[in-house]
Amino acid sequence: MTTPQNHAVSGAEITLDNVVKRYAGQRTSAVDSLSLTIPAGEIVMFIGPSGCGKTTSLKMINRLIEPTSGSISINGEDIRTKSQDELRRRIGYVIQGGSLFPHMTVARNIAIVPKLLGWDKKRIATRVDELLDLVGLDPARYRDRYPRELSGGQQQRVGVARGLAADPPVILMDEPFGAVDPITRQRLQDELLSIQRELHKTIVMVTHDIDEAIKLGDRVLILQDGAKVAQYDTPEAILAAPANDFVDDFVGSGSALKQLTLARVSDLEFTRRSTAKVGESSTEAIARAEQAGDAAVVVLDARNRPVAWRFLRQLRRHDTIQEGDWESLVTLDERATLNDALDTMLTSGHGGAIVCDGRDQYLGVVDFDSVTGHMRAVEQEAAVHQEAAARHNAVEDDGLTAPEASV
Amino acid sequence: MVWQFIEDRRHQLLYDGFQHVYLVVLAVVLAAVIAILLAMFATRVPRIGGAVAGVATSNVLNMLTAIGLTIPGLALVGLLMPLTGIGATTALICVCFYAVLPILRNAIVGLVGVDAALLESARGMGMGELAVMFRIRLPLAWPVIIAGIRVSLQMSMGIAAIAAYALGPGLGKDIFTGLGELGGANALNYALVATVGVVILALILDFLLVLLGRLTTSKGIRA
Amino acid sequence: MSTTTPTSPTVPKTPDAPEADRAGARPRLRLRDRVEAETIGLLLVLPVLVVVVFLGYVWWRQTADLDSIERSALAWPAIREQIVHHIELTVVSSVIVVAVAVPLGILLTRGPARSFAPVVVGIANAGQAAPSIGLVALLAIWLGIGFWTAILALTLYGLLPVLRNTITGLDGVDPTLVEAGRGIGMSAGAVLLRIELPLALPVIMAGIRTALVLVVGTAALVTFIGAGGLGDSLVAGINLFRFKVMIASALLIALLALLVEWAGRVLELVFRPKGI
Repeated sequence: MTTPQNHAVSGAEITLDNVVKRYAGQRTSAVDSLSLTIPAGEIVMFIGPSGCGKTTSLKMINRLIEPTSGSISINGEDIRTKSQDELRRRIGYVIQGGSLFPHMTVARNIAIVPKLLGWDKKRIATRVDELLDLVGLDPARYRDRYPRELSGGQQQRVGVARGLAADPPVILMDEPFGAVDPITRQRLQDELLSIQRELHKTIVMVTHDIDEAIKLGDRVLILQDGAKVAQYDTPEAILAAPANDFVDDFVGSGSALKQLTLARVSDLEFTRRSTAKVGESSTEAIARAEQAGDAAVVVLDARNRPVAWRFLRQLRRHDTIQEGDWESLVTLDERATLNDALDTMLTSGHGGAIVCDGRDQYLGVVDFDSVTGHMRAVEQEAAVHQEAAARHNAVEDDGLTAPEASV
Repeated sequence: MVWQFIEDRRHQLLYDGFQHVYLVVLAVVLAAVIAILLAMFATRVPRIGGAVAGVATSNVLNMLTAIGLTIPGLALVGLLMPLTGIGATTALICVCFYAVLPILRNAIVGLVGVDAALLESARGMGMGELAVMFRIRLPLAWPVIIAGIRVSLQMSMGIAAIAAYALGPGLGKDIFTGLGELGGANALNYALVATVGVVILALILDFLLVLLGRLTTSKGIRA
Repeated sequence: MSTTTPTSPTVPKTPDAPEADRAGARPRLRLRDRVEAETIGLLLVLPVLVVVVFLGYVWWRQTADLDSIERSALAWPAIREQIVHHIELTVVSSVIVVAVAVPLGILLTRGPARSFAPVVVGIANAGQAAPSIGLVALLAIWLGIGFWTAILALTLYGLLPVLRNTITGLDGVDPTLVEAGRGIGMSAGAVLLRIELPLALPVIMAGIRTALVLVVGTAALVTFIGAGGLGDSLVAGINLFRFKVMIASALLIALLALLVEWAGRVLELVFRPKGI
């Protein structure tokens, strides 16, 4: 999930309007009247059981599969106005394993679409290097390699770079991280998120992994057979208030726990705890702490970094606050997940964890109450959304458009 | 008119056809035995000389096969004639030589390709080396070997026709007769009937071989 | 002639290593990785073999005790002319074979024509069962003797391997790659030209090599229809009952064939796309 930024969005809005796909000789449609708006600059995950039509729906956006009826527009323009090839050159397409052409070097693979669009050599070369850098591969080393010489993770990165090559407003991804091991997959996911933070493309991704959907998606579209929309909402909303039993089952038990990978420490409310500077008088610090009702004091150094978290009895042993070791103190980065926060809280012995910002400055302390309070608030909010959406549905009966996320 | 031709020379054609088949089948059977034995030997080498020697042997044999297959049939006939004269012997050796090659190739691939784990468990159960070869390895490699024999058979039908130039037996004789009578009344008949005859016989033999293959291949590994 | 049909290349991977992921310390592709040991062996052995045996022949020719018939049968100008003619026959037929079989193979893998592919290949297969000498004879009887009949016979004989391998090669290209190509905006023609054909090339070239060897071998037979080539001196030796001539010319035919096989393998290597 990407946090909203103020940068300009370079993605385009995609609208699906009553899209149907029926194959000859089949009783049921593969895609049965799907209507959907994908907001510009967001990552939308398509997920559902095998054969539900998620990949079919994805492929209709770049016309690899033609709808039987209904229309699809990008930025308001019907995709049928251009020729298929024209359309696809303006849409990035990344599939599992990267699908790199084995007989072309990495550079040539990436350069395919820019070349098709007629860019000049110099511009292409610069762009290739730019993209390799963006996906974390040293251009000088990898430019002239062949796919065979790369690991699976590297091939996938090149695949992503190739998708981004012509700077398309829309990128379609079909289980792009499915073919690599879990560790590499996590790193690739993190890199995609950081790329998206910079670029704000509209990304539509098909996955079968609900954890991936929750981690990456700004919105998640859960589909049932026939590409029927079971729920289309932000990950938090889906986890907190599944729309029906299908979604509930699909998301799986432990969805509450899944919430913990979603929220960041910075979403929580920090509690104020007593602090003291190194070199200060112990007696004064202890007095302050007792007045506030704290059993321990966070010791800060001259640069406002926490260096120790000492109980009062420890402070009493010396006249002045002793130095501490900033490095060995376990703290939380404000961007850490709630999962990490709980882990740290359990081991700190204080029933809480110290939070620091990006420059290791002390921000505050989070404790178990902050976490449970936050989760409760999210649940309530999602329930409110669900009700509103249900009412909206009853009135219009027209398919769902994405409810506004008010976070 | 062709039918009259066939009718008239029925006996001769049948005789030549039979001879052709006899020559080829004999050659292929001999070739199969030779090739399979050679391949078995090639699989022995790793145990004696290590994996590298084994790979080297297979590679060398494959290279020799490729070279052998490159030599044109007529050239081999020309090389053999000074040694073995004209007649059936030369034809047999010639056809046999070529027939060995595809079978050898496939036999090596087949025998080497048997899962090492299976062989190990067989030895582990107390099977002697010979038993492992004949009761495990060969049967498992059999489909691949049969495929090689099929290729060999088809090739040999054509080579046998060429070897008829050295006065070998078979329908090739009739093709050359047709060639010799170019412009004559029966030239086309000879050449056509003989050629078509070879094709038909080749297809029949191939069919029989497939049948034989099915019968001799264990049900468990039949594709 | 291979008894196993080679498959189109897929992309193998070197295993993931998180540390090496950024460092990129992976060995570059070498010839040894891309090509089988057998092929490398042949590429080295064949020219040596051909050159050594040919030099042996030349030495023998100079020093041997030949009677007048033998000497005239093996006179160098005549032999050279036969060699050149033999090569001519081979090259012309091969060019026609490639010009016909490859486009036909491509056609038979596109859309509606796909259903005809097995039929066409089946007919060609049955045709291959016909003995080469029979084919040569029939065509000569039908069309008359001479160069072009020989070319037709050789071409027909060489068609099947190239056609079959073109179809197999193109069918063997990973369909996800084709889809990826279309998906990113390449036209169908561009995908055929830039992706399918290059990837199918190793298999197609193997077929062309097979055809080349088939043709050079069958070209030894066209002496029987007056089309020249090294078969001439071989048949002369047989007719004149001179063993020396028989062996010498047979040897020369074999050497030429080996040379062509080697050239075919070199071409295969040259045309193999880098990265496969």
